[in-house]
Amino acid sequence: MASSVTEPRPSDSSPVARAAAGPGETTPPGKRRKGLSERNRPLWLLIPGGLLMTIVILVPLAMGIWMSLIDLDQYTLRRWVSAEFIGIKNYIEAAVSSDLLRSIWLSVSFAVISTAVTVPLGVAAAVVTQNAYRGRALVRSVFLIPYVLPSFVVASVWRTMLQPDGIVNVTLNNLGMDGGLWLNGPNSYWTLVWVEIWAAWPFIYLLALSGLQAVDHEVHEASALDGALWWNKLRYVIFPYLKGPVSLAFLLATLNHINNFTLPYVLFGAPAPSDVNVLPILVYVTSFQSFRFGLSAAMAVVSLILIAIPLFIYLRAVRLDVHEGGKK
Amino acid sequence: MTIDAANPIEQQKKQSIRRDAALEVTRLLPRPLLATLTVLLCALVLVPILYIFLASLNTDVGVASGEFWPSSFSLESYTKIWDSVGLAKAIGNSLIVSGATAIVSAIMAVGTAYVLVRFEFVGRLTVLRGLLGLQSIPGTLMLLPVFVLFSSAGTYLGVTVIGTLWGLFIAYLTFALPFSTWVMVTYLRGLPRELEEAARIDGASNLGILFRIIIPLSWPGIIVSAIFAFLLGWNDVLFASVFTRPDTHTAAVALQVFASAVEGGAIPVYSQLMAASLVCAVPVVVLYFMFQKYLVGGLTAGGVK
Repeated sequence: MASSVTEPRPSDSSPVARAAAGPGETTPPGKRRKGLSERNRPLWLLIPGGLLMTIVILVPLAMGIWMSLIDLDQYTLRRWVSAEFIGIKNYIEAAVSSDLLRSIWLSVSFAVISTAVTVPLGVAAAVVTQNAYRGRALVRSVFLIPYVLPSFVVASVWRTMLQPDGIVNVTLNNLGMDGGLWLNGPNSYWTLVWVEIWAAWPFIYLLALSGLQAVDHEVHEASALDGALWWNKLRYVIFPYLKGPVSLAFLLATLNHINNFTLPYVLFGAPAPSDVNVLPILVYVTSFQSFRFGLSAAMAVVSLILIAIPLFIYLRAVRLDVHEGGKK
Repeated sequence: MTIDAANPIEQQKKQSIRRDAALEVTRLLPRPLLATLTVLLCALVLVPILYIFLASLNTDVGVASGEFWPSSFSLESYTKIWDSVGLAKAIGNSLIVSGATAIVSAIMAVGTAYVLVRFEFVGRLTVLRGLLGLQSIPGTLMLLPVFVLFSSAGTYLGVTVIGTLWGLFIAYLTFALPFSTWVMVTYLRGLPRELEEAARIDGASNLGILFRIIIPLSWPGIIVSAIFAFLLGWNDVLFASVFTRPDTHTAAVALQVFASAVEGGAIPVYSQLMAASLVCAVPVVVLYFMFQKYLVGGLTAGGVK
């Protein structure tokens, strides 16, 4: 590190040398703090966590990429180290003769539609709980419920409600509409979107709420003085404050939707109907039901590349550190 | 503004008017719209929730035929669920694995986060970015290599990992650790440095500072990171469905067994499924609402479910 030049070396850190430097030379506090921490950093504290993360994340990640390049099925799995290296054949097979491209389309469209609907819902929820009123704490708790419930519970419940003779279809019949099949056939895609929306909007609500709390009281006063109508105030005064947190929420929510395995798995089972054969399900079925492990690894790597794009944008946008001032 | 100091009642009145005005100033929506939206959003959440309660008190036939209001109420499902698929054992397994994950990842997160926040070193930002990025790695990508690693442990080392709670515990740590560490990083960033500096001047070592200053001050953060790690294990289906045997099933997997269980006739045990869903949800809901104040903050910091 460049600043280490200014550090007192052990040889001249004796009291005499210090005194000789004199009281006239005062190091700025920032420098001193840094010097202090550099001399005696307990970096070994990083070892347990770092070691564990290396073993359980980085090694499997590297293995996953390696597996996508070898011929791995249930026969070669036990001796995976000596399995035949076949280069990008798995990738070619995934692209040409599997459901991969369709699954990518399903996953991306499902994720984007879900997020696009949850954003207005979440922002509306944040706006209605912004002002204090009697019972607001209760309403806020209610809004958190879908978020709090485990995904597997949410999916089990909706699957029960959406059975052919279940409560949803009975209600629709009573209203004079024909429900049809929700857990199979083309409607299943919209079932997945709907349940995801039901479970995920409170996430946007929470992030939008934190954005609203950043609006200063003076801003409210100024717009009241100008006599702004509520819609104009929302549109031109409040929403700009939400732009940052909500776009972050948008990215993050889309990532979470693409990666969501539990919801489609519990709602439709595996293998899933072709209309909801989203990426995580496809990868899962290819490895643990068809036992084409190499092919499945290739698909998983493709899904990693797919999420890398929004993930990269997110990592650029998020504030990593206190020292990185205006990067938020 | 002139306030008549001699007249306290008048003064109070004016103050309360001012308070109302202040509320009016921050108001974002006209009252009718606000009420309508609130009611709609609450109904969106509460109608399905009410349905779970009612269905769990209904009979299987009643649920299957689409009744909202049960024709006869009974608590029978709540007594039956314990025998049909070993739910108690499964919940016990979930508690053990998720609890262990929570404790271990919270302990490791404090130490790691302390170094990451308070000390400069090469590659620090990369580590921070990595912590955040690792949270978004698809579970399905990790599942297969971890599975192969675990089965290799069986082939080469003679240690059975797959099917044991240990395997599940290690897998959950994988995902919990980056997240817990990130939650602690955001928490420790908010702690003032002055106390640590004072302690350092008094001659405290780094470890002394960690144990006497950082940890006592960051209980809320530690609790949040532990709870999130716990939920991660509790809510997981992906790893649990591959890495468990019937006797090591977690609650999430046991619930899937209910869904496919058929009792007597041809009707699935819907009512028991709803009762079991509620039972699986209760620990989570209780945890959330006990620590709601801390969790919401930690969540917006971490930003991952």
